[in-house]
Amino acid sequence: MKVELAGVRAWRHDLAGCLHACVGTLVEHAGFAPLEVLGANWQFYYRPGDVRPEEYYFPCPDGRSLLGSLAPRHPIDSRWRWPDDAEQGWQQVREQVAAGTPVAVAVDNFEVPFRPAYRDVHSNHLVVVYGFDDERRTATVLDAIPPFFAGELPLSVLAAARDSGNRSAHARDMFFADDPIGNRWLQLVVEGPPASTEPSSFLAQNLKEFQAGSEPGCYRGRDGVAQFLADMIDRLEAGYSVADELFVVAGVALASTAVHADWVADSGRRLQLPGWPELARQTSRMAYHWSALRILAALSRTGEVNAARLRSRRVALLAELDRTLAAVETVLAAQ
Amino acid sequence: MTDQLTGLGRPLDLRGHFDNRGLTPTSDLAGGAFNVWSNTFPAEQLPPQDSIVEVGGVLFEFPARGHGGDNLRCGGQLIELPPGRYDWLYLLAAAERHTEDLLYLHYINGSVDPEWLRVSDFWPQTPDRFGALEAYRCTTMHYPRHVQRGVDPVIWRHRVPVPRHAELGAIRLPDNPAAHIFAITPVPADGGQP
Repeated sequence: MKVELAGVRAWRHDLAGCLHACVGTLVEHAGFAPLEVLGANWQFYYRPGDVRPEEYYFPCPDGRSLLGSLAPRHPIDSRWRWPDDAEQGWQQVREQVAAGTPVAVAVDNFEVPFRPAYRDVHSNHLVVVYGFDDERRTATVLDAIPPFFAGELPLSVLAAARDSGNRSAHARDMFFADDPIGNRWLQLVVEGPPASTEPSSFLAQNLKEFQAGSEPGCYRGRDGVAQFLADMIDRLEAGYSVADELFVVAGVALASTAVHADWVADSGRRLQLPGWPELARQTSRMAYHWSALRILAALSRTGEVNAARLRSRRVALLAELDRTLAAVETVLAAQ
Repeated sequence: MTDQLTGLGRPLDLRGHFDNRGLTPTSDLAGGAFNVWSNTFPAEQLPPQDSIVEVGGVLFEFPARGHGGDNLRCGGQLIELPPGRYDWLYLLAAAERHTEDLLYLHYINGSVDPEWLRVSDFWPQTPDRFGALEAYRCTTMHYPRHVQRGVDPVIWRHRVPVPRHAELGAIRLPDNPAAHIFAITPVPADGGQP
């Protein structure tokens, strides 16, 4: 049997990673608009210590699923599937694709020939599988993260990448190594057709979430950002390494904020909404604080960045966040 | 080579500020670390060291090589300029994920103004978002253990306005290490002498 699903398109945002890219492709194939699904929701949530070494890490509040957290106000859900072994892992994926549904599978870049990290760096990455050829023993794979790839991969190669222990071997195996891939794959669950939602209702809900106070055991909203960064700085000052946790969480915040900024801009253009283009630009400015913080975090690993530099960025970031939330309020008040 | 080039501005000497090595020859792939993953630009695809180059009508010293490398990560450095009435600061720069931040213009009369520094992403297959000019696009990228073909990292030309009709004496860079600067050239109001 040979299958190559039609309507599978690459989707990517340059400030997001493989999670947004893969989910963008999957939801578009299911009939949803990727930018709306990935960009309408904007909030901050993180449970201390929850970070995992996955390029596609996303903190999930209140026991929600990955898609339930990433796109909480859309009729889409997801389920991580953990097969017993590589063979079962392939059969499950093949079954989905044969039934017409592309899926996202986790791979170790070290085992993937089209990744620059091939035979070099272990990293827990996500790609889309959208076809297979039983006779040739290949899978058809899409990876929108540069260098772009869409083509066949021998099943033996894909199996090695999906079954990898992802064990670090040198200093550049950082952030996303030492988490066995375990043949995991992500199943999209569509619960209903795309709903037509007033964009301002998304803004209002986001604002409400940001204004809610942090709860015990989690960082949430504007105060959660403030407390999370304060705690990271305190830990660095006390001599602990915060590089991995801060780098990954800042990466999530960067992606969410930047994709949201593009959604605001797109909505403003399409619907001629006054004030929305300026709000989009303000939101992208917020995202750039996370670009800076992400690299500051990485450089804290070698001592190049100290607590004082992080503290200064925290002050600037929170001021920008307050300006952005105030701008959201202004836009909503003018509706 | 220098004598044959015409263009605007007087390139600054940034050697004393360089703290990062972003260009490597294929014989020394692990000799630099432009980004946190230790990727570098292929030196063979860029002008020879200490060249004066023209990019979009502006002269730059690129690539220059100082004790600490060939570019600086923005870390709050104060860069002194020959005092002059400038209209623009032109930069050769690239970022680890595109970013923007405030730099401060220090005028000789004591005035200080913030202006936006915007730097586009060096990463392959990633568009400019700030209206930059593409200065150099390479066809490969260096990894510490191999040369990666099919990826094309970029160095961009950006510019920052100098609005006051007053002599500028220095610029304070933001503390944003995602932004790397290879070269700066202030361009005087009349395009010639400061």
